[in-house]
Amino acid sequence: MPSRVTGKAEPKRRVTEMSTTDAVISEADRVRAAAERAAIDASCRGPVLFFASSAVFWLLVGSALAVIASVKLHSPYFLTGPAELTFGRVRMAHLQAVGLGWTSLATITAALWQMCRLARTELIYPKILYASGLSWNTGVALAVLGIIFGDGQSVEWLDAPQYAAPFFVLGIGIVSAWVVAVFRRRREPHVYVTQWYILAAVFWFPWLYTVAVFMIFWFPATGVVQPIVNWWFGHNVIGLWFTPVAVGTAYYIIPKVIGRPIHSYYLSITGFWALALFYAWAGMHHLIGGPIPAWLATASTVGSMMMFIPVIAVGINHHMTMLGHFDRLKYSPALRFTVFGAIAYTWVSAQGAIESLKDFSEVAHFTHYTVAHAHLGVYGFVAMIFFGLFYYMVPRLTGREWASSGLIRLHFWCSAVGITIYFVALSIGGWWQGRMLNNPNVPFGAITTYIKPYLFARTLAGVLMTVGHLAFAALFVMNLAGWGRKRSGGPTYFNEPPANP
Amino acid sequence: MDRGMVIFLGSLLTFSSSWLGLILFPFWQLNNEQPYQKDATEVPYPQPLQGLALAGRKVYQANGCMYCHSQQVRSEKFGNWWENGLEKTGADIKRGWGLRRNVSRDYIYDNPTMLGTMRTGPDLANVGSRYTEAWQHAHTFNPRVFNDWSIMPSFAFLYRKERVTGERSDKALTLGREWTVDPGYRWRPTPDQWDAILAERGEAIKAQFLARPENAAATGLDLTSPEGKRQLLEFWLTTEEEGYQIVPTDEAEALVAYLLSLRKAEVPLPEAKE
Repeated sequence: MPSRVTGKAEPKRRVTEMSTTDAVISEADRVRAAAERAAIDASCRGPVLFFASSAVFWLLVGSALAVIASVKLHSPYFLTGPAELTFGRVRMAHLQAVGLGWTSLATITAALWQMCRLARTELIYPKILYASGLSWNTGVALAVLGIIFGDGQSVEWLDAPQYAAPFFVLGIGIVSAWVVAVFRRRREPHVYVTQWYILAAVFWFPWLYTVAVFMIFWFPATGVVQPIVNWWFGHNVIGLWFTPVAVGTAYYIIPKVIGRPIHSYYLSITGFWALALFYAWAGMHHLIGGPIPAWLATASTVGSMMMFIPVIAVGINHHMTMLGHFDRLKYSPALRFTVFGAIAYTWVSAQGAIESLKDFSEVAHFTHYTVAHAHLGVYGFVAMIFFGLFYYMVPRLTGREWASSGLIRLHFWCSAVGITIYFVALSIGGWWQGRMLNNPNVPFGAITTYIKPYLFARTLAGVLMTVGHLAFAALFVMNLAGWGRKRSGGPTYFNEPPANP
Repeated sequence: MDRGMVIFLGSLLTFSSSWLGLILFPFWQLNNEQPYQKDATEVPYPQPLQGLALAGRKVYQANGCMYCHSQQVRSEKFGNWWENGLEKTGADIKRGWGLRRNVSRDYIYDNPTMLGTMRTGPDLANVGSRYTEAWQHAHTFNPRVFNDWSIMPSFAFLYRKERVTGERSDKALTLGREWTVDPGYRWRPTPDQWDAILAERGEAIKAQFLARPENAAATGLDLTSPEGKRQLLEFWLTTEEEGYQIVPTDEAEALVAYLLSLRKAEVPLPEAKE
């Protein structure tokens, strides 16, 4: 949908302006652009770092809850005494801490900063955003503590007690308004693909959340309409909130780091509109075989299969942009995390489309296979891209480089190896769990006994990922505390690249 | 795409389409479903939960039971697996999880509707017809009482261990001390502790052991041999702890009442015919 086609070269030219390696740009332009970026970053610093640090805090809380829950699944006597730490509560609290805590706050961080950067506009009234951040954090704290102390709702993704909901609505309301306000004050006439995704996401999520809370808690719908609303929300919170902003972030980071424009403007458009149209329809495959009208699940299967279009479009676009620059993965932490996430996006989406098929679902549904898939999506794809963004963004906001490239390396390998073990172990275990569940001659105890080693492997993966997060949090705190060297010249690399990489 | 309005209208339209199709249509189709009554003499099905069972649903909800237990029996045509080239389906019903598949009408009084998405444990849609109240209490207290392999949490925190004053409560769980000495865990004395116990009241325990008709022939039980000690320990662990009892709290009673009320695949419904 090229709205104002002023020549096919335009988008590419604009994107190129963003990068600082183009030879046509004069030294004076370069200095002016750097000063403008510095002013934008200065306006963002407070609120964006507030969102970022609370995201990191909830990541640690969520990781601890994850490990506790994971251990309990193979060693049921672990911390079995207190009601507060029973599996079901820890499981719900984990999802709130990482879903609404870490991932949502990182999404907000990404949306605010990139919107300012790409609109070439300073953040307005930054202080109000502290109120928004405070409100959202209060919501997450109420959610996590409320669940732990027995107010969990057992509505997947919406387990937060009802008194937390207004804080989320207020928090996201302000963020959405601010993103739109920054966009409307933009100085850059070209609207880059990342901005489309961010604009759509900050509009979709408040609507999605409000409708879900309204129809499940405030005016509860009857019977199975509730799980229908539940999975429309549960799937779209990933598809229309995390995914667009994470994909948009990859669209920002990759060209920025390698200093090349995006391969194809038209593939970007295809990817964006196909995602908008099809992802929103995909949620009902979570209820395949359940007591809902068959046409609903079928509609979602169609939506899920059509997801191949945006995924392939984005995959080709990112790949072609990277082509010839893969050696940069050796040096740039931001790029390595982002590219890992982008690859996981292609993989997890293709897998998800196939998983929505009824024949496949008959085995994979109700098993740990789905858990593996969910974590590949929200961690392997979304979290990894946001780690990449943080490694790129934070030094620009604080004016300090990362204190230790060794810790970044530790973080990367713990996260990458951790999620790989996680995914492989639970995919294999979950698949056979599904096959055995479908065979009435296999007693239930045999299935549980079979799955235990895989659940143990998941704990190992979880511990690895948590170690990575500790390294990440340590780097983050050190950076805020001013331990890194002052920013001048190049960024923190894994290894110093050759002079002209 | 340099205009915000294009992006806004486009995302509004695409999103509205899914809201209309996936939320509003099912809402119209299903939100006013009524209970089924074959003729005027029969009690309509389903019935809303009341009293203790209603309170129990809150306990089920607060402790996240549905993250391991679904509540939906799937069709006898669902679930592909092959053996010797023959396709076999309908494992849910064959496993005895329900007499028929569940349909939307089974859930009209559920709030929240906890269909579940995971079967780390078995389906509970119809669990009320499978187990007794006593079984449910002992199993909730510590599932490994019945199944060594179980990874379900112990919900001993929903039970109270108290001194018996006068008569034992008729609600008290009948469990050996193996399970009740340290609620939530499986208890065994260390060899030294066991020796101390034997020294103190070994003869009394032995007398108790021999009083059981099935042990009458074992009069030669030697309290000094390792084998004799082991045999007596196994027996002693299954006996109830003197002076103490485990009673369910209100929450545990409510939870079990809820579990016993789960009979979603018993009453035939015309639309549930395959």
